[in-house]
Amino acid sequence: MLNPFAVARNVLGSLGLVLLVAGASAQAQELPKVRLFATGGTISGYADSRDMQYGYKPGTILPDKLLADIPEAAKVADLSYEDIAETGSGGINTAILLKLAKQVNAWLARPDTAGAVVTHGTATMEETAYFLNLVIHSDKPVVVVGAMRPFTSISRDGPFNLYNAIRVAADPEARKNGVMILLNEEIQAARDVTKTNTERVNTFETRDLGPIGFADEDRIVFYRHLLYRHTYKSEFDVDNLTDLPKVDICFGYQEGDRACIDGEVAAGAKGIVLDDSSPGNREAVKDARTKGVVFAQSDRKGSGRVLNSTRGEEAGVVTADNLNAQKSRMLLRLALTKTSDPKEIQRMFEEY
Amino acid sequence: MKKVLAFLTLILPFVPAQAQEIPAAGLPPIVQDQSKLPHVVILSMGGTIASRAKDRMNLTHYGDGPAVNPEDWLHDLPELQNVARVTTEDMREKDKAAKKKGDNFADIARVAHRLNEIAKDPSIDGVVVTHGTNTMAEVAFYMNLVVDTDKPIVFVGSQRPWSGISGDGPLNLYDAVRVAADPAAKGLGVLHCMNQYINTARDVTKTSAYRVQTFKGIDVGAIGFADPDKVKFYRAPSRKHTTESEFARTDLKQLPTVEAFYAYTEAPGYVIDAAVKHGAKGLVIDGYGAGAITASETAAVKRAQKKGVVVVITTRTRSGRVQEVPQRLKAHFVNGDNLPPEKARLLLQLALTKTKDWTKVQQYFDTY
Repeated sequence: MLNPFAVARNVLGSLGLVLLVAGASAQAQELPKVRLFATGGTISGYADSRDMQYGYKPGTILPDKLLADIPEAAKVADLSYEDIAETGSGGINTAILLKLAKQVNAWLARPDTAGAVVTHGTATMEETAYFLNLVIHSDKPVVVVGAMRPFTSISRDGPFNLYNAIRVAADPEARKNGVMILLNEEIQAARDVTKTNTERVNTFETRDLGPIGFADEDRIVFYRHLLYRHTYKSEFDVDNLTDLPKVDICFGYQEGDRACIDGEVAAGAKGIVLDDSSPGNREAVKDARTKGVVFAQSDRKGSGRVLNSTRGEEAGVVTADNLNAQKSRMLLRLALTKTSDPKEIQRMFEEY
Repeated sequence: MKKVLAFLTLILPFVPAQAQEIPAAGLPPIVQDQSKLPHVVILSMGGTIASRAKDRMNLTHYGDGPAVNPEDWLHDLPELQNVARVTTEDMREKDKAAKKKGDNFADIARVAHRLNEIAKDPSIDGVVVTHGTNTMAEVAFYMNLVVDTDKPIVFVGSQRPWSGISGDGPLNLYDAVRVAADPAAKGLGVLHCMNQYINTARDVTKTSAYRVQTFKGIDVGAIGFADPDKVKFYRAPSRKHTTESEFARTDLKQLPTVEAFYAYTEAPGYVIDAAVKHGAKGLVIDGYGAGAITASETAAVKRAQKKGVVVVITTRTRSGRVQEVPQRLKAHFVNGDNLPPEKARLLLQLALTKTKDWTKVQQYFDTY
């Protein structure tokens, strides 16, 4: 059932869309072309009551409404959209990731386009963004954006986040920065950012390295270039793939036994990311290595590199640099599309 | 026994004590042939890292022990020989009267001049500069603006004296030399390395009086790590520095006078008037919040502007930019970006060697 607020919002939204279309046609010639690729998430979440900050339905508000909600964005860019999925973070799967990557690649390959914005649930946004960072073949800006509060909530952060994401995607200075995540006015690098809080609007942080820039009101500023390989310098290509190798994660803790690794190998994993160490790992890794399963050693602490060690090298375990487990998983999946040689995969973990 | 110990402490102060960590384990094998290693020069500007106390538990009021000379570092850290051919130069003020006066621009100018000489010396690959931690961030930023080189220049210091228990100095110095010897550190501008973090001179700030993790890039973080297995960089600064700097090779003995002021409830204007009377050509006001200053300060600043003084506004929140807003444009205030006042002051001093036009100064603050 719709409450009066939601009805008003929908009506305003439709009006906004009309304004948006009118505005866009007037300025289409001059404005940079930015396309929104919507996958769902809290930014498009709907609840019956505006005080509901949980229990909402993610992916309910469709992309036309998201854009109509911020007519100001039509002054910044010539906007269009594609509806890739209508789900929350937990619903994102390989099929959606591949569809998203292919559609964004096709859009950015057009010479007349400026950039792309992807809406996404915040819980797994960082791994989707990092996946795109590895498989998009363009130096044009790709900005992944979401919200901590649903579309229907008081003090919702979505409209401003989306508006700023569009500004960055339309900005030529944002080129060559790879895929970025933008919430809360902070521009973060996909490789390095992580979600650090379950509820707050400042949830996305890059521990150690910080944001690379800011979407300030007066202008967008960048303070950093990235030194590792990404997007237009990446060797990975999923445009002709219909699936990706199965890679799972095993969390490390006191008295952790070998059941996790054994179970994932039995379920068909081609690679496993070890998020820190369990005592049962050593024997299980040895056995799984004889079956060709590749391991990447990550760390649950959330900052700092896993140091290269001869012990790990001898065991055939790749060290994951400072990538967290969920991002290591993405890189390992893509690495396994190329090779299963731990030495070669180690190189990739050092370069990307 | 106690008497003997007391006697020993009386006669021992002038025997240079080794840093506390070093005896705990054996030395690694030292390479014999250093000819293939890069040449790194350590310039000593002193600092806590060059200080000793008589008592190793004294971490706050040291200086009663003999000062650490640059060659003492090499003596205490023979493992540096595995990283680079290290030579040292003592850049500390030797003139006793000048030294007594304390902090002054002559120290900065002397080091800037020497770094620009090193820039042209093909026999030197990288430089480490030791410095006291209190003002090291702004001095490093100054070098970032005036030294014309892509060679690594790494500022380092310590929070605990060289004689202190669990002193951070030895590892900091060892890491700084590793970074200065690393070709990947070239072209990144002047760097800062302490506590295994590599920060940029522009963005790093001291954030804690005593903790070893004191140096942080508050807004934009570190750019790399000096980890035990290797030195690794993830990012490069976007703002102009060193070889791209319009101020490169500035070799002045004195810069235009610029003073900095703080905004707080009831902050007065008369201190600003006094600074102008004393010859200030520029003012930095560390505003509150988004860069607001008091009515008294505003009135004083207007009086100063009539005399041609250029005014830069920073924010005492220490994070976030002072943005362009109509009010400040109308008032001809320069927005200090996200620089803290001590760095904004040095950039304004350099800017005033080129121009008195506030719009031109604004361009410098937008690009450096």
